[in-house]
Amino acid sequence: MQAIGKSQRRVDALDKVLGRAAYPGDLTRPDQLHMKILFAGRPHAIVKEIDTSKAAALEGVCLILTAKDVPCNEYGLQIPDQPVLCGPGSSKPYTDRVRFVGDQVAAVVAESEEIAAAACKLIEVTYEDLPPVLDPFESLQEGAFLIHPDKDSNIFQSYRLRKGDLKQGFQDADVIVEGEYHTPVQEHIFLQPEAGLAYYDEEGRVVVAAGGQWAHEEQEQIAHSLGLELDQVRVIHPAIGGAFGGREDISVQIVLGLAVLRLREKGIDRPVKIVWSREESIIGHHKRHAYHIKTRWGATRDGKLTAAEVDIVADGGAYMYTSNKVLLNAFIACTSVYDIPNIKVDARAVATNKVPGGAFRGFGGPQGTFSAESQMNKLAEELGLDPVEFRLKNVLHKGSLTSVSTSLPGIVNITDVLERCAEESFWEKRQGSWEIQEAHPEPEGFQRGVGFACGLKNIGFSAGYQENSWATVELYGSETIEEVIVRHAAAEVGQGTHTAIVQMTAEAVGVPVEKVRIISADTAETRDSGSVSASRMTFMAGNSVYGAAKAALKKWEEEERPAIATYQYLAPKTTKLDPDTGAGKPNFAYGYTAQAVELLVDPETGQIVVTRVYSTHDVGRAINPDQVRGQIEGGVVQALGYVLTEKFIQEGGYVRTDKLSTYLIPTVQDIPEVLQPVVMENPDPNGPWGALGMAEMPFISLAPAVTAALHDATGIWFDDFPLTPERVLRGLGKI
Amino acid sequence: MAHHMISLLVNGQKEKLLVPSNLTLLHVLRDMLGLTGTKNGCEAGECGACTVLLDGEPVNSCMVLAPELDGREVITVEGLAKDGQLTPLQEAFAELSAVQCGYCTPGMLMSATALLRRKPHPTQQDVQEALVGNLCRCTGYQRIIDAVMVASRTGGAE
Repeated sequence: MQAIGKSQRRVDALDKVLGRAAYPGDLTRPDQLHMKILFAGRPHAIVKEIDTSKAAALEGVCLILTAKDVPCNEYGLQIPDQPVLCGPGSSKPYTDRVRFVGDQVAAVVAESEEIAAAACKLIEVTYEDLPPVLDPFESLQEGAFLIHPDKDSNIFQSYRLRKGDLKQGFQDADVIVEGEYHTPVQEHIFLQPEAGLAYYDEEGRVVVAAGGQWAHEEQEQIAHSLGLELDQVRVIHPAIGGAFGGREDISVQIVLGLAVLRLREKGIDRPVKIVWSREESIIGHHKRHAYHIKTRWGATRDGKLTAAEVDIVADGGAYMYTSNKVLLNAFIACTSVYDIPNIKVDARAVATNKVPGGAFRGFGGPQGTFSAESQMNKLAEELGLDPVEFRLKNVLHKGSLTSVSTSLPGIVNITDVLERCAEESFWEKRQGSWEIQEAHPEPEGFQRGVGFACGLKNIGFSAGYQENSWATVELYGSETIEEVIVRHAAAEVGQGTHTAIVQMTAEAVGVPVEKVRIISADTAETRDSGSVSASRMTFMAGNSVYGAAKAALKKWEEEERPAIATYQYLAPKTTKLDPDTGAGKPNFAYGYTAQAVELLVDPETGQIVVTRVYSTHDVGRAINPDQVRGQIEGGVVQALGYVLTEKFIQEGGYVRTDKLSTYLIPTVQDIPEVLQPVVMENPDPNGPWGALGMAEMPFISLAPAVTAALHDATGIWFDDFPLTPERVLRGLGKI
Repeated sequence: MAHHMISLLVNGQKEKLLVPSNLTLLHVLRDMLGLTGTKNGCEAGECGACTVLLDGEPVNSCMVLAPELDGREVITVEGLAKDGQLTPLQEAFAELSAVQCGYCTPGMLMSATALLRRKPHPTQQDVQEALVGNLCRCTGYQRIIDAVMVASRTGGAE
């Protein structure tokens, strides 16, 4: 291995430290115009009338777009259930409604951003307010107000699982633990708010340059709404300032494309730029779903799980986004990594008039895992067993049947991952069983606790989707290969995928990394890579560049110059789940994770200080070890924000935390004293050089590890978070 | 809107500009001078992505009005490397994976540069205090702290 397994410097490092990397808001073109969006600003209403006459009369206003200007007024990643612009006279039924505060009603294009903003204020919209549906349980009720009147109910998606004999399972149990868990909404707070630039290129294509996670999917959605052929639209990804799932759905792309399209029809051939403010970003894009999970687990006295019953309700917000897929992940994660003979799960994602729920690192995994791992920690306590020991008695092994009645793919080394985490952190093995080590003395005024949790997360798209990714490898030179170009569309959102792809290409071709250059981020230059999500890109891109390199090398040997080959990697097939039993083979690879946390809590103030985190992951093979550790460190701190401070408040459908001063993410002073990534490398049979995906794994089980540590410190279980001082004090009965 | 004529030094270069009263330094840099290395993350002084040095002190450029700049000196991320030569701090950020998406990086570099100029051999706690106004959502911060500490041993801010 000459190119992989090394902490190669990022290919974009130089541009980023010199301030040269161009993010969407940094792009300018001569003669550009500026766009501003008029957001609904109300949770549920019918738009009766939009009067743009005053706005249009303002000097410097070039174009005002409303629903009637959208050729095909619908879009959506999973289903096209959201209007591009909400209002009357549209091409699609029920698109005259706004369903959350961030729905877009009009877009103004003007000579300056100030003029566009002023014009937005002059647009007169007449609304007929509808009752907002805010509670997902109300939304589920028969006769609830239909948020999408063309649908039969407010349920976006439901899943059902029946394995074994639940009644018998609970009869066999000596101990039964019931729990009701609520996980909160989380906002991505990528540092770069949405922005973009649209224009026509020389080939007459509508070009949209904006941050995203899947250029070819964005191209498809823009073309669909604009009524254009796919090759009439070109998507370019500039440098992207973070994503974490938050750029998986469309934000500014369609309206930007629409603006240049309609301007050209008016004889105005000028680029259009938009930059969202932080507040617009927070209101305008989806969030991690809030989940409500009611569950009951049984175990025998000697610590074997007998039954689990889980009821899941996910608050999907106004539109589908990826609620259906997020729910599938929570559905699988809600029994975590355990061999349970009898299981019943009912899961629903439902619409409400709130900011949509969608993709965010972990994608349903953290929610399902929080309930499962909290149940395990409570059962361990009830049974008087060590939480690590209790888990080891119940983990899935190679060949064991999961909740979906099939065995796990690949190497199944959950036991090894758990034991490694225990050993690295606060446990030691005495006479063959794991026990917590003697505690350090705690500082004056604090109570100390340690906690453990684990989990799994799929790698790649699930449940019957034929996972695929394209790559092209080009070899230049005469006698020897002097230059290698790899074309791959993977979105570089900060995770380092371009560097990993360059390393894997160099490895596959057998040249030093310095000879490899990546061409990416442009639908005109690359073929479809799939999304940077589901911890899939290293796995998928690695396999595709490997295939392309092999084919290119064959041509090289046959004296073709340059030797160019394109290859589509197809991942192992998966299946849909049976609608009645949930049985199926939904995934082709998983990553396993175990995390141990130590914290201090001040019982007088409710303040929590997480002091040590050991985050253990089998990554198959670390293509770039520094980047792998960087993902673990970043993922853990993001998860600490989720469990400790990040409180996203919506009241009556209105967002109350649309600023960084009211929605609090961790600062440099909020990180643990010790954050230890523990990286294991047991090659996956299908992974490129054995590599698995790993970027979501550090998020999966951290919340239940923290609440377990808090219980260890205080004796109280916290089934809701974030663990703000107020919540902690309430839990302790102090207020 | 009233306008003001101001003269200032930006990365060593004299600039004479006519600016409206309500324009911020952030927009002077990005829109008037084309220095887009300074990032806009919130325009409320809450994220630190727009940090620059004003007469050597780190400031959120979104919180400084342009008319205040007359006769003063601004250094941005574009003004750190001299003749393409990275500063030890930039070198350490690139080498130690202190950069992921990179959007917070210019602001981090400016806050850390100010720290190292003021205190060439800081403790980890000094670094955390100096960077507390700079949010990062990708890295978990430890690599950024490590990069500043390494730079303090390999030559500091210059």
